[in-house]
Parts: sequence; structure tokens; C-alpha cells
Amino acid sequence: MRAYDILIIDGEPIVRESIREWLARAGYNVEAVGSVDDALEAASEHEIHVAVADHRPDNAGAIDMLCRVKSEHPKITTVLIASQPSHTVEEAAAQACEVDHVLRPFPPDRLERLIRETMRSIHAEREGPVGVGLAPEPLAEVVEPRETFVLSSVALKALFDSLAASNRVFAVVEREGKYSYQAVADFAELSLDFDTTLLPPTRFLFPPRETLLDLRLGASPAAEPVVSEEASVLFGVHPYDLRAIELLDEVFMGQQPDPNYIARRRNTILIGIECLRPSATAFAPSMDADVVESGFDLMLAPVNGDFAVIVGTERGSKILQGRDGIRAPTDAEIAALSAQREAASKRYRVQLSVSRARLPRLLEDYYDDPYWGDRSRTCLSCGSCVMVCPTCFCFDVADQVDLDLSTARRVRRWDGCMLSDFALVASGENFRATREDRFRHRMFRKGKYLVERYGIVGCVGCGRCTTACLPRIASPAEAWNEIAEIDRAERRRTRTLRGKADSYVPHMATLKRVAPLTEREKVFELRLPRDQEVGHQPGQFVMVSVPGIGEAPISIASSPTRRGSIELAIRDTGNVTHAMHGLAPGAVLGVRGPFGNGFPLEALEWRDLILIAGGIGLFPLRSLIQYVADRRDRFGDVTILYGARSPEERVFTVDLAEWSRREDLTLRQTVDQGSEAWGGHVGVITTLIPSIVIQPAKTMAVVVGPPVMYRFVIGELKKKGLADDQIAVSLERHMKCGTGKCGHCQINGIYACQDGPVFTLEELNVLQEAVA
Amino acid sequence: MTPRAGRVRKPGVAFFDFTCCEGCQLDALNLTEDQIMDLLRAVEIVEFREVKTGGCESYDISFVEGSIAREEDADRLRDIRERSKTVIALGACAHIGGVNCLRNLVPADAALQEVYGDAAGDYDILDTVLPIDAVIDVDYVIPGCPINPEEFARTVADLLLGKEPRLPRHPVCVECKMAGNLCVFEKGQTCVGPITRAGCKAICVTAGRHCWGCRGLVDDPNIDAQREILDDAGLTVEQILEEFRIYFSCGKEAL
Ligand SMILES: Cc1cc2nc3c(=O)[nH]c(=O)nc-3n(C[C@H](O)[C@H](O)[C@H](O)COP(=O)(O)OP(=O)(O)OC[C@H]3O[C@@H](n4cnc5c(N)ncnc54)[C@H](O)[C@@H]3O)c2cc1C
Ligand code: SF4
Ligand code: SF4
Ligand code: SF4
Ligand code: SF4
Ligand code: SF4
Ligand code: FES
Repeated sequence: MRAYDILIIDGEPIVRESIREWLARAGYNVEAVGSVDDALEAASEHEIHVAVADHRPDNAGAIDMLCRVKSEHPKITTVLIASQPSHTVEEAAAQACEVDHVLRPFPPDRLERLIRETMRSIHAEREGPVGVGLAPEPLAEVVEPRETFVLSSVALKALFDSLAASNRVFAVVEREGKYSYQAVADFAELSLDFDTTLLPPTRFLFPPRETLLDLRLGASPAAEPVVSEEASVLFGVHPYDLRAIELLDEVFMGQQPDPNYIARRRNTILIGIECLRPSATAFAPSMDADVVESGFDLMLAPVNGDFAVIVGTERGSKILQGRDGIRAPTDAEIAALSAQREAASKRYRVQLSVSRARLPRLLEDYYDDPYWGDRSRTCLSCGSCVMVCPTCFCFDVADQVDLDLSTARRVRRWDGCMLSDFALVASGENFRATREDRFRHRMFRKGKYLVERYGIVGCVGCGRCTTACLPRIASPAEAWNEIAEIDRAERRRTRTLRGKADSYVPHMATLKRVAPLTEREKVFELRLPRDQEVGHQPGQFVMVSVPGIGEAPISIASSPTRRGSIELAIRDTGNVTHAMHGLAPGAVLGVRGPFGNGFPLEALEWRDLILIAGGIGLFPLRSLIQYVADRRDRFGDVTILYGARSPEERVFTVDLAEWSRREDLTLRQTVDQGSEAWGGHVGVITTLIPSIVIQPAKTMAVVVGPPVMYRFVIGELKKKGLADDQIAVSLERHMKCGTGKCGHCQINGIYACQDGPVFTLEELNVLQEAVA
Repeated sequence: MTPRAGRVRKPGVAFFDFTCCEGCQLDALNLTEDQIMDLLRAVEIVEFREVKTGGCESYDISFVEGSIAREEDADRLRDIRERSKTVIALGACAHIGGVNCLRNLVPADAALQEVYGDAAGDYDILDTVLPIDAVIDVDYVIPGCPINPEEFARTVADLLLGKEPRLPRHPVCVECKMAGNLCVFEKGQTCVGPITRAGCKAICVTAGRHCWGCRGLVDDPNIDAQREILDDAGLTVEQILEEFRIYFSCGKEAL
């Protein structure tokens, strides 16, 4: 029996082998198998800690495979990688069995980190506890499907009383017409119908001040962690605050878990209450935070004098167990519930005029806009906006020494980016010295940076900051709407300037030459009428049409430096492409374009280049390689890596031969499966990367290939020290118009046909849908 | 007499007071008994209130209370500075002039006349009442009226450990929010918490009043914006002066 840290289950060799290599090089014992049967066999023969499967269209059984492994070997931690861990995937994974983790493949080192942590906690378990519950355990188990019951208000009071009998209960209490959370022992004192509270309930999970360590000073110093395990109940939490807790969970329980937060979170029962009376400054619906499906143990909603209660977790279900006065809702009640939810959502007076998903890019474009300076002129740097915010979690840590000089406490307290000394460093430099810097930072952090880091927008639209800000400038909705308006005005201006409408009418091009590349692919040389040039950049594409059949986006495979005609390389996959494969020289085709952004030539020039293509990813990349070869003096060292499934499936072999002959280009090729005639390298494309020598500071990489290839190649490149803005990829999407309208190519907020198809990783990191 | 060998000399600490409202002095410090014992164990109180005439004492730490109103005070203060390694302004009077600066609102002669009547000529008062840093270099400040005893204890402990004592740089609003208070502006009242240095845990607002700025300004106060919000709250310039002049009368921090 061998001990493997990790078992990879995947039918696709490149996935399997890449993950294996990459984790093996990170120092793990890895076994990789191609089917569930092999996986089960491996699991019964060997000791295995973590099983990993990748959820893709061509590996759809991933969840089932993991579940089967889990059911027979419950001790194995199961990890599902999903490029889009949507609710459906997560729910499917949670429903089928409890898949332990669902992970996005971006950033690619996330898996490694998770595995590192899992291994650490396994070792810790064996060796007994070391720290204070550092390993993030799953919280209360989520139950599916979420059942709804109805409680009379008498039964609700009884439920409150039983909770209050053995826990501290914090609930909302009215004071001078405003609401705040207080310790409440008597049900009659609390309010369940409130607009919002002064401070958010998050303060019970992340308090304004808390002692992290008790310190002993002197000759034998010591540090004792201080973690409160006291149980409490938050009774009456609005959905937007639950959404905020979701973000805090991600922050404090994900990477680098925070023991103090975890202890409180685990020991806090969350009882939600739907918000039917939104505050005048709130905009929760715009932030998708007026209704939540999870994140609570129980969720209450008044209905016709009684209370509906939705069960969110096992723990919530236990609270309800054996209670009197609980019944199933009537149809009328269910209708009433959704009607009042609907009505409540219409009561919000503030709204975002731009989609949440567009915020990161929108903000980025207006970083230097004078708006930030103008609007922050009256900022007092008072910090009120960040103190009352449920999604703010910055803090300061300081030692407080007692007068006896032998003991001290390490205390953390809330801090915030709006305070003038927040970014002050010891040397006296302040990285955000002006009000403008701080004001902009907060709006960016909420609308962009947190999304990029955690995939969750950093504002839930509770409106508290707006109310708390004396000069009335703190509303993110207002700032984002203003910027969106500035953007609209800018677009209106350029629209009238440009004047010429994008046309759907294609140029009629003549097919000059057709040549086979492989069994499925051919190259087509097209000439525009009157020897017009297409005027493209490497990496751009055209919409090619065969009248009556349709249009398809096709990359231009030749460089603009080769004038007179363009070449398109096409795989026979469907209607248009098949029709083209049947055409002979002399035929006439429609061509529109060029479209898209192309490869970032300004960023590539004068740098060393690593150009990586997998399969027919060479079609678009060839235009760049030709361009580089033709303007060789404008680039540093150039390395081309090409991988194909088999020697026969390699495309543009004539070009490959030419490039390998050139002294000023380095070409390395590999195939997944070799053949007798193939004398070259065998192995997936990632295996070519470790041996190449890179000077990270002056290198740019461009990667084009099938989606599965990206993340592994990217992982390798990052290991070579390349940063996200040094790696560009080209994405293929379904496209119908090429002009940013039809919506087919949309990735979150952006249109691949206009903003892409080439993106740097830095740009992609904000797009949850990017690598599918 | 030579000190016994091996005995570590405890830092000598002195307290001095000048023109002072009530006194943030040791007896009014509100330290717990334990803290006082700890303090006495850690330091030697070598002087209290009066400098021994003709003495050549020197002090490790001198706490100075009160503001400077007379020329002879200024001389005495300069003498203290010369004999002290570290001078700490204790309380609002020493720090920003405190309540005493109210006198600056009327001409010195008139004030003298009002207070001392015919005896006015016997007093040599300065044209304006001054915080101590207008006369000497001050190393640290323990602000507030009265001072926050915790802050006092922490400052002493930090100094004894050789650590630079740091005052909060953020305004009172931060602590006011942490305390969960409803902002008094929302109740139609006014407050200078947004420009006042925190450290008091916003006790005045918590107690149902507002902040009048006894701890002095933050480093980078947005005075214009503060004035605007007071304006918006309906206060005239005269009312602002009336309401907030207590701690804003010593010239450099005029509202
Ligand atoms: C920017 C960009 C550049 C590209 N460059 C190239 C290139 O250089 N060379 C190249 O060969 N390809 C390229 N492609 C891919 C190419 O555009 C697609 O293969 C092409 O759109 C196929 O068009 P089609 O009409 O031939 O196929 P379609 O008929 O549209 O079919 C494509 C596939 O989808 C399936 N399908 C489509 N519609 C339906 C439906 N309604 N129901 C069920 N199944 C459906 C088909 O079965 C087939 O498998 C590029 C794509 C993009 C976005
Ligand atoms: S930024 Fe403002 S509106 Fe958004 S969550 Fe924080 S307090 Fe609420
Ligand atoms: S950076 Fe600013 S906005 Fe963000 S959590 Fe910290 S205080 Fe809040
Ligand atoms: S935006 Fe408003 S609440 Fe925030 S620091 Fe500035 S003045 Fe204070
Ligand atoms: S009451 Fe004063 S200190 Fe408190 S938040 Fe309002 S302005 Fe700031
Ligand atoms: S709230 Fe203002 S006036 Fe009151 S102690 Fe604090 S700083 Fe002084
Ligand atoms: S966020 Fe980086 S050190 Fe705290």
C-alpha cells in the first residue's frame, strides 16, 4: 500500500497529466487515473487524502465520480474544479453528496493552496490540535431543498424564548426612531419590522475591538491566543447583511483563516428576516442582496399575521424540531410571500444604472476622472462610512502594555481606508495621502478590487454609509452611477464623431487558393476586390459568410505584413465551415471586419516572447508569428511552443519547418501521442515549459489553444515568474455580429468580439465566466 | 550618598501645573489602585507641582498641566524644559490652551480688569493665553479635558518600555460609530467630532451630549467641510463660535 496525497480522476490526458505534473513538482505524491473504476481501485489499494476531478462539458461525470469515491472512502477530501462554480454546479455537487470543495481554476495556484491546507489539517489532525481551530471546517450543514413552514407569532415567541434560555440573543431594538442590535431577553422588546440598523450585525462576528493575544513580556515572553467560543444568536438579520457575512466568510475563512472570526461564526446562529421596509438610501436589489437563498440557519418573513420560516441549515432544522404551532404554508400564503417580496423590491428608491458586472472595467477606465477629486472635496476623512459598513473589514493591530510592564494585550480594532493615516507607512510615506485617493479607493475597492479578489461585490447596498456621511458623498451607488453617466456621455460624443455605422454588408472576396492542412483543416487565401487590404492586426478576426449558409468568425491566419491577400485556416465543424471546405478557387465569399482587439503589439514589442499554441490555436497565433518574423528586430528572444494531439494533427507543418530552420526563432514541438515516424518530443504541452529559460522581467507570453489547455499552461508560466499582465490569451466564443451587440460572445460584462478575443490574465481575473 | 551597587535607578517623574481648569493631576487621574501601585513601582515621583527653588534636580519625564498666561509662567516652564529629558503636555489646557483660551476672546487688559479689578496693575499677563508648545518644545501630548486615564497609563508604559507613544490619528467619529451611537446631527444637533482627535471613545456623545473638541484637531482636518456641515445644520458663524469656542480659541485652531 502506497500513500498518495492526491488522486486525479479525468478522462482527458492533458488535464490529468498537467495537474499531475504540476502538483508532483509542488512536492506531492500524485496518482492520476482516467476513470472512476480505476479511481476506486486506487483508493482501495492505497491511502489517498484528496481526490480531484474537473467539471467540464467533456467530463460531465466528475461530480458522480467524486461522489462514488467519497461514498466508499468517506475520509478522502473531494475537490471539484469548475470553471464556473455557479449555484447549479455547487448545488449539484452538494446535492449528489457533499463534495468538499468546489474551486475555480483561476487563479491556477488556488488548487495547490487548498491542497496544502488540506494536507496540513490532515497532519494536524493526526498530531492533535496545534492552534485554535485554524482549519476552516464547514459551517452548519446546508439543507436542501429549503423547506418553508409557518409559525404563529405565539410559536415564534416560544422559539425566541427557548433560544434566549441558553444563548445570548442579539436582536433589533428601536431607540429614538432608529434601530440597533442589542442583547435582548424579552421578545416584546425586539423589532422585526425595521428599515436598517445603525451598525450592521457583522459586528458580532467581527467586533470593533477585540483582544487577539494575551502577551507576557520580559525574559521569557509568551503569547496566548484569546478566542471567544461563546454562543450567540442574531435574531432578525436582513438579507443584505447576510450577503455581507458571505463576503466576510470568504475573507476570514478562506485563505489564511482567522481563528477569532471562525470561532464566532461557528457559534453564532443566524436568523434572518426579510426586509419589507427598505431604508431610503438602500439599493440592495441592484447588488443582488435584497433576497438571499442561503447564508442563514432560519429565515423569517411575516405573512398574514403569522411568520413564514425557511430552513437553511441542519442547525436551523434542529431549532424547529418538535415545536408546537408549526405547519406547512397554504398556497395563499406562498403567493402572499412572493407578492410581498415583489412589492418590497419596488420600494427601493436608489438604483444602480449600470450592471454590477460592468463596474470593474468601468471604474478602471475612469480612474483619473476629475469626478473623484470634485466629489471628495468635502470629505471629512471621518471614517463613518467604513465604520457602519457591513462589508468593511479592515483593521489595525496594536500592543497595549499594562503599567506593570510585564503583561500586554495584542488588540485589533476596526480601521478603514477613508482614514487619513490608513496607508501611512513607517517611513512616513502615505500611499493615499489625499481625500481624493481615499475616496476613489473605497469606491474601487467596493466595485472592483474585492470582486477581483473574492468574486463578490464589496457592497451589498444597505445604504448605511450614505446615511452616516455628513457631507452626503459616501453612497457607492451615487458614485458608480455618476461614472456610468460620464461614460455614457463619452460614448455619445465618440458615437457622433465616428459617424460611420458598422455595417452588416460584407465585402465580396475571391478565393485564390485552397490547400489541405490535415484531414479536417484547410487553408484559404482570399483577395478583396480591387486588391484592397483588410487592414488587420495579428489576432483579429473576420466574419466570413457563404451566402445562404451563414456567417462564422474566423481568425486571420496571416500577418498584415504579407500584403495583397489574407489567409484563413478553417476546421470543418459545422455549416459554414463545411460549406467552405467544399469551395474551389474562384468562388466568392463574404468578408466583414476586421473585428476584435488583436494581440497587444505595443506590450509585445521590444520584449522576449513566448508564443504557445495548442492544436488549431496556431491559426490565430500564426499571424503573430509571421508578424514577428517579418519585423524581427522589434522583438527580443522569441520562443514558439506548439503542441498537438498527434503528429498528423499538426497544422501548418510547412511553416513549422521554416520556423525551426530560422536561427532567430526557437521552436519546440510536442505531441500527446507519438507515432513510429515521430522522432520528436512526446507529452502534453506543459511539459515543454519547465526547461525553457525565461527572464521574467522582460518577457511576454501569448497562449492560444483549447480551453482546457489554458489553465495548466498559465500555471506553468506563473511558476516561471510571469505576472498576470504578462500573459495574454485568445478566447473563442460563439459570435454572431462581431460588433458587440448580439450578446453571444459576452463574458460577464464584456463582449469578446469587441474587447477581446485577446485578454491579459489580469483582465480575465475579474471575469468569472472567462475560461470555460 | 552613592546609590547601592546593582540597584537600577527608577525613572524620575515630575508633575507641574500652570493655569489650569480643574486639574488632570495624579490625584484626579482616576487610575485604579492597582495601576497606581504599578506606577509607583515603576517610577519615582520626584516632584509634584512646585519646582524646588534653587534646586538642580533633573527629571526623566515631566508632565506639565495648564496653559501659560503670565510671563513668569513662561520662564518657569523654560526652566522645566531644561531640566527634563521628556516633557509631556498633560490635558487640554497644556495641549491646546484649553478653556483658558476663552480669555483670548477679549483684549488682555479688559480681562485683567474684569478679573482683578483695581489690582490689575500688579499682574504681568501675556497678550494671549498660550498652550505650552508655544513656549517650549513638547515631546508628547496626553490630550483631553479631562485626560483619559487609560491613555495616560498606556503612554507611561510605552515610554518606560522605550516605545514611541502614539495618539490615534483618526477623528472621534470613528470611536463614536464603534460605540454604536446615533450621530447627533441626525437629531438636529451639531458636533465637531469629525475634526477632533479620537482616543476618548467618544464619551461625550455616548453620554448624550456632543463633542466639543477637547482633544484638539486631527492632523489633517477638513475645516472647510466641517464649517459647511455646521452651516447646513443651520448654525451661523456666531453660533458656531459660541458653541465651539471653548477649545477653539487659541488662534491656530480657530473654527
Ligand atoms: C474569434 C474567433 C476566431 C476563430 N478562428 C477560427 C479559425 O481561424 N479557424 C477555425 O476553423 N475556426 C475558428 N473559430 C471557430 C469558428 O468560428 C467556429 O468553428 C465556427 O463558428 C463554426 O461555424 P459553422 O457555421 O461552421 O458551425 P456551426 O454550424 O455554427 O456549428 C458549430 C458547432 O456547434 C454545433 N451547433 C451550432 N449550432 C447548433 C445548434 N443550433 N444546435 C446544436 N448544435 C449546434 C455544431 O454541431 C458544431 O459542432 C474562431 C472562433 C472565434 C470566436
Ligand atoms: S458601501 Fe455603503 S451601501 Fe455598500 S454595503 Fe457598505 S454601507 Fe452598505
Ligand atoms: S478598504 Fe475601506 S472600504 Fe474596504 S473594507 Fe477597508 S475600510 Fe472598508
Ligand atoms: S465619505 Fe463621508 S463618511 Fe466617509 S470619510 Fe468622507 S465624510 Fe466621512
Ligand atoms: S455625533 Fe459627532 S462624533 Fe459622533 S458621528 Fe456624529 S459627528 Fe461624529
Ligand atoms: S467627545 Fe470630544 S469633547 Fe468629549 S472627550 Fe472626546 S474629544 Fe473631548
Ligand atoms: S491585508 Fe495585507 S497585511 Fe493586512
